Amino acid sequence: MTAMPRADRRSRAPYLFVAPAVLLFLAFLAIPICYAIYLSVRGLRLTGGGVFGTREEVFVGLDNYVRTLTDPEFFAGFGRLALYGLISVPLTLGLALLFALLLDHAGTRAKRFSRTAIFIPYAVPGVTASLLWGFMYLPSTSPFSYLTQELGLGEIPFLGPGGIYPSLANIAVWGSVGFNMIIIFTSLRGIPAELYHAARIDGASEWQIAWRIKIPLVAPALVLTGLFALIGTLQVYGEPTTLKPMTTEISQSWVPLMNIYRNAFTRDDLPLASAASVLLAAGTLLISVVLLKVTQKRAFGGMQ
Amino acid sequence: MRITRLGGSIAVLGMTAVLAACSSGTPGSTDTPTANTGPVALEFWCWGTSQKAKVEAFNKAHPNVQVNHTDVGGDRDTAAKLLTANRAGNAPDAACLEYETLPSMIVAGALADISAHTGDVKDAFSPEVWDLTSFDGAVYGVPQDVGPMVLVYNKKRFQELKIEPPATWQDFAKVAADVRKKDPEAYLTTFAPAEFGNFAGLAQQAGASWWQVQDQTWTVGIADQTSHEVADYWQGLIDKDLVKAQPLLTPEWNNQLNKGKILAWPSALWAPGVLYGVAEKQAGDWAIAPLPQWKEGDDRVAFQGGSALTVTKTSKNAAAAATFAKWMNTDKAAYDLQIEMGEYPASLAGQQAAGDSPPPKLTANQKDYWDVATKAAQRTIPHISWGPNVSTAKSAYEDAVSAALRDRTPLRDALTKTHNLVVEDMKTTGFKVTGP
Amino acid sequence: MSAAGHLLPHRRGRILPTLVLLIGSLYCLVPVAWVLVASTKSSGELFSTFTFAPGTGLLDNLRDLFSYGDGLYLRWTANSALYAVAGSAFSTLISTLAGYAMAKYEFRGRNILFYAILAGVLVPGMTLAIPQYLIMSEIDLVGGYWSVLLPGLISPFGIYLARVYAMSSVPDATIEAARIDGASEYRIFGSIGLPMMIPGMVTIFLLQFVGTWNNFLLPYIMLSDENKFPITVGLYTLLNKGSSQPALYGIAIVGAAVSVLPLIALLLFLQRFWRLDLLSGGLKG
Repeated sequence: MTAMPRADRRSRAPYLFVAPAVLLFLAFLAIPICYAIYLSVRGLRLTGGGVFGTREEVFVGLDNYVRTLTDPEFFAGFGRLALYGLISVPLTLGLALLFALLLDHAGTRAKRFSRTAIFIPYAVPGVTASLLWGFMYLPSTSPFSYLTQELGLGEIPFLGPGGIYPSLANIAVWGSVGFNMIIIFTSLRGIPAELYHAARIDGASEWQIAWRIKIPLVAPALVLTGLFALIGTLQVYGEPTTLKPMTTEISQSWVPLMNIYRNAFTRDDLPLASAASVLLAAGTLLISVVLLKVTQKRAFGGMQ
Repeated sequence: MRITRLGGSIAVLGMTAVLAACSSGTPGSTDTPTANTGPVALEFWCWGTSQKAKVEAFNKAHPNVQVNHTDVGGDRDTAAKLLTANRAGNAPDAACLEYETLPSMIVAGALADISAHTGDVKDAFSPEVWDLTSFDGAVYGVPQDVGPMVLVYNKKRFQELKIEPPATWQDFAKVAADVRKKDPEAYLTTFAPAEFGNFAGLAQQAGASWWQVQDQTWTVGIADQTSHEVADYWQGLIDKDLVKAQPLLTPEWNNQLNKGKILAWPSALWAPGVLYGVAEKQAGDWAIAPLPQWKEGDDRVAFQGGSALTVTKTSKNAAAAATFAKWMNTDKAAYDLQIEMGEYPASLAGQQAAGDSPPPKLTANQKDYWDVATKAAQRTIPHISWGPNVSTAKSAYEDAVSAALRDRTPLRDALTKTHNLVVEDMKTTGFKVTGP
Repeated sequence: MSAAGHLLPHRRGRILPTLVLLIGSLYCLVPVAWVLVASTKSSGELFSTFTFAPGTGLLDNLRDLFSYGDGLYLRWTANSALYAVAGSAFSTLISTLAGYAMAKYEFRGRNILFYAILAGVLVPGMTLAIPQYLIMSEIDLVGGYWSVLLPGLISPFGIYLARVYAMSSVPDATIEAARIDGASEYRIFGSIGLPMMIPGMVTIFLLQFVGTWNNFLLPYIMLSDENKFPITVGLYTLLNKGSSQPALYGIAIVGAAVSVLPLIALLLFLQRFWRLDLLSGGLKG
């Protein structure tokens, strides 16, 4: 890191520069987090008044945390998420890396077209993507099931048991493979060409070059994309919610965020939802930090 | 809506907020012009195809009250939004809610008791219907439309397959088997996991009582003997592949309906309107019949769905909102619009007018449509009470039944699971609950 | 390609990679092609004809779409544009200011701020939606445009990227020279820092733009008036109501098609300005 201009240490300028960000950070990140923590120890309990009584907010201690942690559905949601993530994360990263390497490969044709085509889904909002894929899964509108039915193989149970995980993971892969491909590709382009020349002169094949030189050098980009894919997985909400009306496979608490949304808005139990939110946020933070430690601070390490 | 609060943000964005001033004056009656203040502005949330026209008609007839209508989605969405908006202090003045949702909204402190304003319209409704919105003398809304349960069936396909609408549920099972034999691709009906209200209605018809309250002590009967028997009945039909377990009104379901592969729907009087939207081409092919009975000769049916127009506790213009709620559900102009859109009005005069009108488009060729409808409406079960956590029950029911259908576990266990969750939720909140 | 000139792989080494990429392209384009085809179908044809057979209802569908709810669809588009353009522009500016300060100044609290921002990148944004709703309702902004715009202004990831970019693209020597010439800190930022950071700002803007354009849960929770919905929430409600009014499925599909096209065009046009190496560039610490 370069030396700081000492003379300006006491300048007010940096404080003014960060002031809007700090204010907004406090207002829309820090305070909501504190408020969520506060709410998570409150509860709506019946008090007198009215025909049936009225619910009022009171302090309930760690009740909501106990209820969340003893709710098998909450953990089942993480289990489903894990299964979903096991399909979507490696596929997204693997395909993104494969496409990026192929784009970087000297002999490949139609590069501009492919790069643009694969990047296009990034411009499609998740809700729209789920809508599109949803129709492509439904037996009566699915082109894939149409083909298999014509061949006498019956329809593909995209939305049936067993089919739902790959079907949902596919939407995520489709939406994010292009973006990740571009990140890895730009990082491949940053590798000096002399490194390949030397290897080729030594008689290394393209596969060996990819495996021994390119992949290790883009590892930081892979860590970053992996981290984003992981955070993205923990935040899955829109896709299963949009597909839900089309299948009996997806319950209202299918993933943790759906569980939280249901508790907050369908069951009108904001405190319980807050407790689950706090746990989910803390869990994500923990997983991210552990992942970063494990990968030796390769990402986000540029501070000191 | 709090115009003053929103005004700032709207103005900043350069929007021309031509909104009437939110005057502090609360006119007791809309016919009395209030000096020095503009018209009262009311915010109103409601779904349904007739609302827009009804609100326009109201605004035209009431220059001193101007209602702004917003469709925030069906009952589930409206209820969820209303709860959060109520907590945030920006709830609308009036909102539509299904009858079963009322108790949970009352417990949440979201609704105003408008009994002081409704004395003059009570007699416009039958006691069974009025009971849907009044609790121990308090009135939490004016009934809007009701859904006495009937069997809606594709008469043309029935005639093709030479079958008759069944009179009892035992016959219903036989007809279901007959349909499978005569057209292996078709089903008499489907069983949808998310249809809490429908199943509750069927259980109520069989004699179940899912919630009861006496002296602030509740009894929950979601998993009582009768409900279990009804669950077993449907279980049998599903297990023998006589009825298809499938979500309702999805693109897939609609497609099968259009192909004539779903022949009937035990539902309520609003169903012809819904199905017409799904299968316009089958207009005239359908008809309604009395809902099958458990015992031959019985004729009691439950309500399914239907909604009331409520006034919120946070409304600053409760009197004007109550006037609005009354007009929307008793005025001729309003119920004529409802009937035109295929809704069955809650008021006696509205039902009378419906009876004198031609049948809905879907069932256009059924001459005795209104005879069947009126008979069902007159024989509805009185005093159905819903619990304070129906939304919890609905979501628990939906998940438990979906899981049961998926894993092929007994439906009756799904009811028990729902029951336990509902009771536990009520106890956590602090309700006194007796029994299991 | 730099190495393409003198070491061209043999034929098989050309066909297979190209084929794999083309299959990938096909996979990514099929759903887009489907929605374009489906948008030409009338609601009857949607379920009755082969999915990739064009229909006859395109003009009717477009007319229905634009007349739905007195031009609601255009309002949603305008709202999405407002949220995405205004929100991302201000967010980019705020991120640039903060990133620049954190990269180029030593000041008390800088490290705390940095770690707070990192934590902000890692906390799932969606778990904050509900508390944000409650805070917004405390200050009476729920339901208005600000309730969607304001939370979108703070982007920890944008600040992080701006800091990375400022560190690598604004030389300390240039700043020091300007100081010696007597320029104020604000002038230095305005005439040196800001211009040098423009490529990075474009990237931040685009990331934020797509993120806001695609956002669903926040506006879904905050808004109840359909006149203020962005396209994502609008289409979702259409789909939801579609179960009882299937004509709306047709509108939702043509609406999805129409909403996807301009964004794809925008991305294609702006692709050359993207500096996504910025994302990986920050990792070489």
